[in-house]
Amino acid sequence: MRRIDECRRRLVALALLMASAAAVAASYPLIGQSAPDFALRAFTGDNVRLSEHRGEVVVLAFWSSDCSTCGAELAAINRSFSTYRTAGLTVFGVSVEDSRRHARQFAGAHRVGFQMLDDPTEEVSRQYAVDSLPMVVLIDRNGTIRDVHHDFGPQDEAGYRAELRRLLDE
Amino acid sequence: MRRLRALLAPLAVIAALAVACPAGAARRESDKLPPTRVRDLNFGDVLFYYFQGPDKDLEAITRIEAYEHWGLLSHHRPEADLLLGSLYLDLGLHNAAGAIFARLLTPDVPPGVRNRAWFYLAEVWYERGYLEKAEQSLARIEGRLPPQLEAQRTHLLSNVLIRLGRDEEAVRLLDHWQGPPDWLAYARFNLGIALIREHRLADADRALAAVGTLVTRDPELATLRDRANLAIGYAHLQQHDAAAARPALERVRLEGPYSNRALLGMGWADADLGDYRDALVPWLELQRRSVVDAAVQESYLAVPYAYGKLGAEKEAASSYENALTSYGAEGQALDAAIARVESGKLLTGMLAGNAKAGRYGWYRQLKTLPNAPESRYLYDVFAGDDFQAGLANYRELGEMQRTLTEWSSSMDAFGDMIDARQRAYAVRLPRADRLLGSGALDRMQRRRDELASRLERIVREHDVAALGAPDQQARWQRIRAIETSLAAAPHDAKTDGLRDRLRLVKGVLYFEMDAAFNARVWRERRTLKDLDLALHEAEERWIRVERARRSVPTNTGEFASRVAGLETRIAALQVRLASTRAKQGDYLAQLAAGELAEQKQRLAAYRVQARFELASLYDRAASREDQAQTPPAAQKEPPR
Amino acid sequence: MKLSTFRALLIGATILCAALPSGAAPAVPEAAPSTAAAAPASPAADAASPAGSAGTSAAGSAPGTSAAGPAGGSPPVTQSPSAADTRALDEEAQSLKKDVVDLNRDLYVLEEELLYPANTQVAVFLSMDVGSFFGLDSVELKIDRKEVANYLYTPREVDALMKGGVQKLYVGNLKTGSHELVAFFTGKGPNDRDYKRGASIKFDKSIGAHYLELKINDRQHRLQPEFEIKDWGE
Repeated sequence: MRRIDECRRRLVALALLMASAAAVAASYPLIGQSAPDFALRAFTGDNVRLSEHRGEVVVLAFWSSDCSTCGAELAAINRSFSTYRTAGLTVFGVSVEDSRRHARQFAGAHRVGFQMLDDPTEEVSRQYAVDSLPMVVLIDRNGTIRDVHHDFGPQDEAGYRAELRRLLDE
Repeated sequence: MRRLRALLAPLAVIAALAVACPAGAARRESDKLPPTRVRDLNFGDVLFYYFQGPDKDLEAITRIEAYEHWGLLSHHRPEADLLLGSLYLDLGLHNAAGAIFARLLTPDVPPGVRNRAWFYLAEVWYERGYLEKAEQSLARIEGRLPPQLEAQRTHLLSNVLIRLGRDEEAVRLLDHWQGPPDWLAYARFNLGIALIREHRLADADRALAAVGTLVTRDPELATLRDRANLAIGYAHLQQHDAAAARPALERVRLEGPYSNRALLGMGWADADLGDYRDALVPWLELQRRSVVDAAVQESYLAVPYAYGKLGAEKEAASSYENALTSYGAEGQALDAAIARVESGKLLTGMLAGNAKAGRYGWYRQLKTLPNAPESRYLYDVFAGDDFQAGLANYRELGEMQRTLTEWSSSMDAFGDMIDARQRAYAVRLPRADRLLGSGALDRMQRRRDELASRLERIVREHDVAALGAPDQQARWQRIRAIETSLAAAPHDAKTDGLRDRLRLVKGVLYFEMDAAFNARVWRERRTLKDLDLALHEAEERWIRVERARRSVPTNTGEFASRVAGLETRIAALQVRLASTRAKQGDYLAQLAAGELAEQKQRLAAYRVQARFELASLYDRAASREDQAQTPPAAQKEPPR
Repeated sequence: MKLSTFRALLIGATILCAALPSGAAPAVPEAAPSTAAAAPASPAADAASPAGSAGTSAAGSAPGTSAAGPAGGSPPVTQSPSAADTRALDEEAQSLKKDVVDLNRDLYVLEEELLYPANTQVAVFLSMDVGSFFGLDSVELKIDRKEVANYLYTPREVDALMKGGVQKLYVGNLKTGSHELVAFFTGKGPNDRDYKRGASIKFDKSIGAHYLELKINDRQHRLQPEFEIKDWGE
């Protein structure tokens, strides 16, 4: 994702966010639908296929090396990942990146407990209608997309955790 | 009713398929089995899903049935049937599995396969509670099964006999049974239980003590060991043989699922011998544990009982009061749990479940019970076969709902495809019909035949002129014409001279054409051959078009009606799924609620008992005081 | 004392009735030593417990305290489902599940017949026959220079292949005539090194479903898996 495009997109996203968080979520076209299946290589470790994780609550965190808040987002997600993984939470970071080198560097620089996946053709980000970064998609145990988050300020983290707990309790 | 199937399944299927399907089908676990030699690629496709785990079972079943529908599994019939049968079992489809296994019981099926089918059938019957049928099926096995399966067969039979109350036969079966070591402990345990029921305590003691003194690190065997010790301990207690009971009970682990009951029993052993002070030790320990447990609840009455026996009435009274307080608090907790269950919240923690685990792997994860207050009461219920089977049903039905929803959305796409196809055909069909009706191919064929026969005549008659170049042919024609007119003319010097010259010219021309004749014939033949090839291709294409054209009206029309029919079935099944799933959920809640109600009853009984005992204590204390105060002759008040 | 012990034992015995599953190990029957109750789910066995209260009067008077029955408690509002209910519901669930399985098959059959009619169908399978573990990563498939499949393999799938499963990697439609299939596979070799191998085949499609198999094997015993393509024809 080019810097200018990304910047523009982020401004748009920000504006939307300001309008109403609920509106942002509601406008995401995939809520309530079956999460599109995909298979991606991980930067380290085995290949991953989403459908093999049905039965777990899955969080997809889309990131890019030139997204300034993605680092903080991943760190926040990593914190809740450690807490809830034994309860059945699975997290995947997914790159949205032109340059493989940058993607690899970013993945290496941000140590997290979950797998970081490489999406070289950006097919997955297209499937999931990623329109701005950071973006986090929450998928329930049945494989249905339940929610999407676009920002990770401190107040958002608490809400995100509560939502995770609800999904995990189902 | 449904029980051991669950536990037998993984092993049964592993072993059975290990032999039946040399297709390396050690049920999802085999590092040990060799890879398969799959002749049918399609069968291999089924295995690819099968080997991935229980959540792919439905996919595997779908494919195996589809391939059989298309007749693509001819090389693998018995194996495919066995596989399908065990897949059905995995999904809890016992009736369907039984039908398949029964199908395998024809004489032309190899005996090894037949035996396995009987064994599976026996499991199916046992699972469904038809014990005699299970026994009969087992009896139909000829000879011995492979060692692992043979052990399971004995085990299954012993369970059947015990459930039928034929303990003596079970004893005989198990008494001198030598099997694989890991089964031996379980066989001995079963034997011990059967012997107890046969009132052969001494023999039972020997069998159970063997299990009870096992040295093992395996957690399941350790649990079995506890159970064995508990069983023989209580059996002895029942015969008032406290001395025999104690050693067994003492072997039960202090930190384990059976420790509470063991502690209770140890106290009673001491009490039996009159050692009430000693009895207090385990009973007081029990009181420190969670009052949810039945043994703990009983200890709240046992302790004051002991105090009473020791003459410590004040301690007894305060213990009874303690009991009442605890029972009261526990009663409230139970009420809360019952309310939760009745409001339908019980199952939310359990029901999303782990799709990966499948029907039988699931309860390995029973350890991670949901975080709900009622779960601690319901461990036994959750662990019971009825609950597990019901829960598995619930989750499978949910999976099926999801699958059908996906198909439902595909139906629209299919409909679009069929429409598009129909539209395309609407354009192409008239063209195809025109072409087919035009007889063009026949005409081409006839022309070819004409050309061929013409060429043959030319060759036969060595008709060089026929193959001449155009100018040659023109000249030839002129020569022939002149020849003809000369033939009619009288003979004189002039005409003869002309005739001679003509003959010369004709000869030269003939010579030219003749020289080129062979080459030209060869060229013509080549052309004919090319024509043949082209004609052949055209014929093939014609046939294809004809075939396609013939199948079209039935094709799209048929597809359209199939789609419509399937859409109806999807809708109908979705309704049934929702309804049955709801019923299943209610059933599970009922199981839980029933259990809680019984626990509440038991608790209530304890409370009544405690109150009664406490009241008696006070009465006796009061009347003793009265007796102390009034002179002996003036006792009036009758003890209340 | 006798009665109390008996009652305790009743409790103990009925508690014994509730079997706990033993994971992979074979289960044992919930045969309680003393009670006649057979089916653990039957409420009858457990109903014995309320009567089994432990204490007797402290003065050692006759343990006639069996009067302490469920008199003090209210009768249960809920009953556990009966065995007949259990059986009926299970039969219903089974029959429904079977119908769904049958429907699933019919749907799959329709889809395949609609999307890939036998006349034009071509199917490419992948199988692995290697002696030791091979970390297959991905397979790329091209037919007539066009990419038709690019599949990433997860450990679970590689495991299934190793056990003898055969993956139906690609199904599509081709006109009759001559075509070319080119395949590449990448994986992790013995020294954890990446490597890539390719293979190609020309085949003639006529009328009927055409099967091809990509076989990964190490029959050459060169310590490295190799690729061959087998044309099964029609």
